[in-house]
Amino acid sequence: MSAPDRPLDLHDAGTPPVEHQSRLREVLGTLVQNRLSVLGLVILAVLIVLALFGEAIAPFELNDIDVVNRLQGPSGDHWFGTDDLGRDVFSRVIIAARVSLQVGFIAVGIALAAGVPIGLVAGFYGRGVDSVLMRLMDILFSFPAVLLAIAILAVLGPGLRNAMIAIGIVYTPIFARITRGSVLSVKQEVYVRAARSLGASDARILRRHILPNVLAPIIVQTSLSLAFAILAEAALSFLGLGVQPPEPAWGRMLADGRRFFQDAPWMAIFPGLGILFTVMAFNFVGDGLRDALDPKQKSVIESRGQTT
Amino acid sequence: MKKKRNRVVAWIGIVLVLAMIATACGGGEEVDLGDAAVTTTAATGGGATPTTSGSTATTSGDTGGGGGVLVAAQGAEPDRFDPHLTSAYASFQVLENVYDTLVQPGADLQMEPALAESWTISTDNLTWTFKMREGVKWHNGRDFVAEDVAYSFNRILDPDVGAANAWRFGSVESVTAVDDMTLEIKLNRPTPNLLVSIGGFKGMSIIPKEIVDDGTIDTFPIGTGPFKFVSFSPGDGVVLERNDDYWREGLPYLDGVQFVAIPDPTVKLTNLQTGEVHWVDSVPPEQIESLESDSGVVVDRASGGDYHYFALNQNREPFDDVNVRRAIAMAIDRDEITLAAQFGAATANQAAIPQGNFWYEAIAPFATSDTAQAQQLLADAGVEDLTIEFLVTSDFPETVTQAQVISAQLADIGVTVEIRDVDFTTWLADEAEGNFDAFMLSWIGNIDPDDFYYAQHHSTGGFNFQGYANPEVDSLLDAARVETDQGARKALYDQAAALIINDASYIYLYNPDNISAWLPDVTGYAVRGDNAVRFEETQLNR
Amino acid sequence: MTGFVVRRLIQVLLALLGVSIIVFALIHLVPGDPVRVALGTRFDQEIYDRLVQRAGLDKPLLEQYFSWLSNALTGDLGVSFRSGRPVTAVVLERLPATITLAFGALFVALVISIPVGIVSAVRSGSKLDYVATAASQVGVSVPDFWAGIMYILLFALTLSWLPPSGYVSFAESPWEWVRHLVLPAVTVGLISGSILTRFVRSAVLEALNQDYVRTARAKGLPESRIIRKHVLPNAWIPIVTVIGLQLGFLLGGVVVVEVIFAWPGLGRLALIAVQDRDFTVLQGAVLYIAFMFLMINLVVDLLYAYLDPRVKYE
Repeated sequence: MSAPDRPLDLHDAGTPPVEHQSRLREVLGTLVQNRLSVLGLVILAVLIVLALFGEAIAPFELNDIDVVNRLQGPSGDHWFGTDDLGRDVFSRVIIAARVSLQVGFIAVGIALAAGVPIGLVAGFYGRGVDSVLMRLMDILFSFPAVLLAIAILAVLGPGLRNAMIAIGIVYTPIFARITRGSVLSVKQEVYVRAARSLGASDARILRRHILPNVLAPIIVQTSLSLAFAILAEAALSFLGLGVQPPEPAWGRMLADGRRFFQDAPWMAIFPGLGILFTVMAFNFVGDGLRDALDPKQKSVIESRGQTT
Repeated sequence: MKKKRNRVVAWIGIVLVLAMIATACGGGEEVDLGDAAVTTTAATGGGATPTTSGSTATTSGDTGGGGGVLVAAQGAEPDRFDPHLTSAYASFQVLENVYDTLVQPGADLQMEPALAESWTISTDNLTWTFKMREGVKWHNGRDFVAEDVAYSFNRILDPDVGAANAWRFGSVESVTAVDDMTLEIKLNRPTPNLLVSIGGFKGMSIIPKEIVDDGTIDTFPIGTGPFKFVSFSPGDGVVLERNDDYWREGLPYLDGVQFVAIPDPTVKLTNLQTGEVHWVDSVPPEQIESLESDSGVVVDRASGGDYHYFALNQNREPFDDVNVRRAIAMAIDRDEITLAAQFGAATANQAAIPQGNFWYEAIAPFATSDTAQAQQLLADAGVEDLTIEFLVTSDFPETVTQAQVISAQLADIGVTVEIRDVDFTTWLADEAEGNFDAFMLSWIGNIDPDDFYYAQHHSTGGFNFQGYANPEVDSLLDAARVETDQGARKALYDQAAALIINDASYIYLYNPDNISAWLPDVTGYAVRGDNAVRFEETQLNR
Repeated sequence: MTGFVVRRLIQVLLALLGVSIIVFALIHLVPGDPVRVALGTRFDQEIYDRLVQRAGLDKPLLEQYFSWLSNALTGDLGVSFRSGRPVTAVVLERLPATITLAFGALFVALVISIPVGIVSAVRSGSKLDYVATAASQVGVSVPDFWAGIMYILLFALTLSWLPPSGYVSFAESPWEWVRHLVLPAVTVGLISGSILTRFVRSAVLEALNQDYVRTARAKGLPESRIIRKHVLPNAWIPIVTVIGLQLGFLLGGVVVVEVIFAWPGLGRLALIAVQDRDFTVLQGAVLYIAFMFLMINLVVDLLYAYLDPRVKYE
């Protein structure tokens, strides 16, 4: 989660209103035409199976310590070798899938739950509300991401749950920005003005007319952020702030494994591959979604030109 | 027209940012040079700085036999250079070579003369008179006098200074300079370990008053030691140069020493293997074996008075029950813990003091992994489904490893370990506030048995965070403190230790080796048992 | 226009104020304080209390904040608890290394992302596009600390081409400055470059789909000329935005890479400040980082006006 990892998004643009049923079918249709997206979906399916049934699939317990047989290379018994405490790397990589996916989904869920409403309200009401909310987001955004996460973790105490909260808070301003940008263009559309002139309440306009039409960039950003959140956990683990041992997460395993890289590269390679495949899968699906949802891809310049 | 104006403003913006960056750069360098230049002139009359290009270590300063600048890698950056106020090991690694103490531990950790040449003790054991070494000069050229020692010790004693080591002077009544060459320390009780207390480590350094008065002690330390401080910057680290007037004739051999901070242990070692640095302060234990077979690197280890342990919070149930603590002490397998965490570079021990030390006594009441008896003890105590919240810190990664092994071992007696891995500052706060079921760490640099036991296990001890209170131990430790007969004193400590171990006040794990590594061109350096890093007899053969 | 800049500068100041409040609040919620760090394991309640009092840490938090703020407004950021040195000096001495790494990494990122992004957009759907996409996926999937250690082991230990870590100032030796910069700059730059490649590609793709490009094609202009004259000038605008933001992040210090490469930058300074609860240094470092970030944002907005005549600021 070092600085350049922070995802940036420029898809602050709306899409025309459409009927949801056919739209969904259309999107899925476009998505499955994209070979990389299909590959991404397949990988994700496998990961979700591992996350749900990891303990059953794993041949060993996650903290089966056997110091005498440590740092053994891959073999019939230990497909991915053993780590510095003699634990089975294969079992831990599988069980870690759940933790890593959890980090991704929950952290991004928090960012979505906080960022999207902020962006909706800021964009919809504009003026003072907008200024205050977005300046607050700018403050968070101008914070160095890793430091913010470290400070939040230091306050909340370490552990998986708090790591997810910290990553969620760090990613909140991104979602707020994107949502707001899209709302700004959508609220000028004819159908929104029409709803308003018919006397619809703000809440109804937001829910029925605006939210559905700003979803595209949010969905795309979500898929990208999922990948970054998993990497963020790795960075926090490197700094000793990730999940609490002996619970495995790919990031922590990779961070711990770096000390043994020359003697036992398998300790780091396999969790590293786990991260690689997951991040690729999310990105492939995200790219496909973007193409499917947002074919015109208006760029940031228009919305920024209007609003900044 | 509009467009053109926009362009102009855009350019102004760009120029602004560039200017900002430029001033920032300039500012940084100015600050560096400013600091060094001003203080250097003041201190050494503009003495030449040893040139360390910062490039490969092996190319720097060739003066034939023994000279040159040694580049030493340390794991962290020094925080400050006031020896009385810092508690950072990285700072002491540097200060060890800049300052002297009144007496100092020799290679065998026996106390030897340093700034004091000799001393006498009054018959009532309450007055110690130290004779100062003649001809010692401060790095700024002033003659060293007894008044400097009195000033330094009184500074440590001054509660307004807030020196972390004031407790070492617990029995000191007064420190006065009788004349330029004589110092008198008056005590309120016999203190057989006074020499260790005042000279056991560089937190008790003798400093000159003038650098406190002008406020440069934290940025430009002036001592009497083998090397003079030259400069410190985050990029080049600490640069030291030879003190030609050092009181040990002919020493040091090196022209200078440069300390660079390299936080990642793997990268630090790589710097040694590629010859960027000559010496590294520690070697990750897992690397020792492969390094020892590597002819390009010399690995040396020494065991001293360091020990690793964990302690259960006796202010919390059920750890107030001695049998619960004993059950845990006997359920663990110290050999496995030692092997897992230190890869054999340590010796498992149920006691604090290692074999070979004068104060060693074989005390090992617990069988290894005695799960049957441990379970019986827990059952007798009426403890079921015990969960221990174990406070460890990734800043000392071995504690995290050990906690995982202990977690697996205690699972065998039905005890669950929840590991709480926090940063070291949080660890310190939680420890001091009693916010733990168990905490794990190590004590390093112990020399006298009083260092090992008093503050940790006396009911009034400052570091007794586990809440141990045993009147018998208290009176033994109090008696041992003032017992001047070595043999009788050891007997007292042996009894106290046996109680401490049996009561599982601390559950001792092992004594680690101190390990350093260096290039084969470095000679005359040896790892010390007290973790001190001294380069005065070191040579660089090129 | 001038009004716009003035308004934005006021907003920057307000944001900095907000940042300082958050830093202050966060660091005081964290367990532990600098005095405890200074005492280490040899804790003594009496000395602790006295030092806390002397440092003014026993005063009400609001009072502490306002006394810091009133000093800060006069340009005095206080003294580091950890080193006893002025915060301004501590932060400034880290800037050369930070700026060196930021621009070095940006250079690497641009050298990769601009050509690769353009080619894979122009040949969208080709094998080359796929390879570039896959490579950039790998680039963003590898955690930076991991990539850094790999490069050190390969290029420093095995091949002995480059020094494993450390920083040498340009003034000391330009050649060593470059040699020490390469590995960290590549570590950061490849990740940055992977992100940038994706944006360059999509910006160029978008520009390719514009009506005037189709018109130009219809007129039968050569493809290379179309790209040079019609596509790239329009694709520049979003690309500059992303570059600006990346630079903003990089100038804030890259904590993990600085730790790996023993790089004396701001990120590591701030990390140590958090660990040691060194409030004043953390405030100084974060304020500087936020200031850089906000100013670069402002400059990027002004650049729009330069690059795109349609954009006007009132």
